[in-house]
Amino acid sequence: MERLLDEHIEKLKTRVIKMCSLVDEQVQSAIKSVEEENLELAQQVIEKDTKVDKYDNKIDKICQKIFALTQPVAMDLRLIMSSLTINNNLERIGDIAVNIAEYAIMIKSKPAFFNQTNLEEMFKVSKQMLKDAIDAYIGGNETLAKSVIESDNKLDQLNFDNHKISIDIMKQNPENIEPGIALLVMSRQLERLGDHCTNIAEDVFFIVEARLIKHKYEKYLFADDKDDKDD
Amino acid sequence: MKEIKIVVKNLNLFYGEKQALKNITLDISAKRVTAFIGPSGCGKSTFLRVLNRMNDLIDNVKTEGEVYIDGVNIYDRSLDIVNLRKNVGMVFQKSNLFPKSIYENIVYGPKINGIRDKKLLDEIVERTLNQAAIWGEVKDRLNENALSLSGGQQQRLCIARALAVEPEIILMDEPASALDPISTAKIEELIHDLKKEYTIVIVTHNMQQAARVSDQTAFFYLGELIEFDRTTTIFTKPSIKQTEDYITGRFG
Repeated sequence: MERLLDEHIEKLKTRVIKMCSLVDEQVQSAIKSVEEENLELAQQVIEKDTKVDKYDNKIDKICQKIFALTQPVAMDLRLIMSSLTINNNLERIGDIAVNIAEYAIMIKSKPAFFNQTNLEEMFKVSKQMLKDAIDAYIGGNETLAKSVIESDNKLDQLNFDNHKISIDIMKQNPENIEPGIALLVMSRQLERLGDHCTNIAEDVFFIVEARLIKHKYEKYLFADDKDDKDD
Repeated sequence: MKEIKIVVKNLNLFYGEKQALKNITLDISAKRVTAFIGPSGCGKSTFLRVLNRMNDLIDNVKTEGEVYIDGVNIYDRSLDIVNLRKNVGMVFQKSNLFPKSIYENIVYGPKINGIRDKKLLDEIVERTLNQAAIWGEVKDRLNENALSLSGGQQQRLCIARALAVEPEIILMDEPASALDPISTAKIEELIHDLKKEYTIVIVTHNMQQAARVSDQTAFFYLGELIEFDRTTTIFTKPSIKQTEDYITGRFG
């Protein structure tokens, strides 16, 4: 039976998918601007953030409308609640892309010690995490969502190691301090990006299985005992 | 662990040849609100009437199975039906007040039960009207005809009248379906207050109402009990697809 709510939900899904592809593109461009020292592309990322913000508002508005007009329950309720939190995470990821682009403009070109850091690997891991988180959300794919959550530990470790590497590099020459701090900030931003991707992946479990796993995913995903019941 | 007030075991009910309830088994907790939901004709109102044997009044109805209230099988031949209906009050979709004064409507039941003391009757009137959250609105017009009240007030008066004979269980069949949103909200608040002292079973077509007022919800479909669980579970994570399809409006 076609419901009035289905029309709203289709519209919401379309907007969230558009937001996903917009934010993915922003992250790809921001990273590319650093890798290829393309300051024009970095500037484009900064300017395009208003579009991300507009979509953020559009999604919030449609969710508000659905709550007010249709009082959704069960799977509909979970989908709409998750759309709100996923939207929020995507908007924050969009801000991270802008921060990376701003630092790309600040350092103008990659410092000579760039290859000694973990940034190249972090770029790769974080781009993949975002892609997988989006695909997991769109396809309701829990296996992919789990792999995103697993990758976050790797990204955290890379960021942690980067701190030590960067400090050593900065100690060697005071001229390394300014670009060194810029790379450290980027590293930290990518680590945050991983956290937001993890949040999106956790929501996939909520939509598909009605399981609230945030803050306790180790217990649900990596332990043998999955019998605990949510309140 | 919540005390169980009503136990239903393997209940079947037939209207002539047609089976309206199929092998229903469920426990209803004391001092809780239990809601029955389901599409028209699913058997929820029939099942509600099983609980105070109101179906006995309909010709050609055959009931099989067991229904225990506080451990007593209410379908036992030796059971006093008058006492049962005193213990299990009922409020209907449309108010069914007597064309008498507000006061007379309330004291009708207690008088039948032999109470003649005016002071005691006055106390019952004030207590039940207070319990039904209508005392403030009618205390100065107790001798006016009950039918002069608004629809919402009449429904609360029906609840007060049901309380006057001191039941332990109150059955409500669509008690707010003919009321405006403000009157509906008052009835819902009243249900919430009454559950502190009474076991309430409510049939409603309004799923939001079931979600708002009840602690447990039973979903009926084509005479079968499909799912019975905590209301929060039914409306957030039902176990059975038919329940999910019904509460999300995919059928029914």
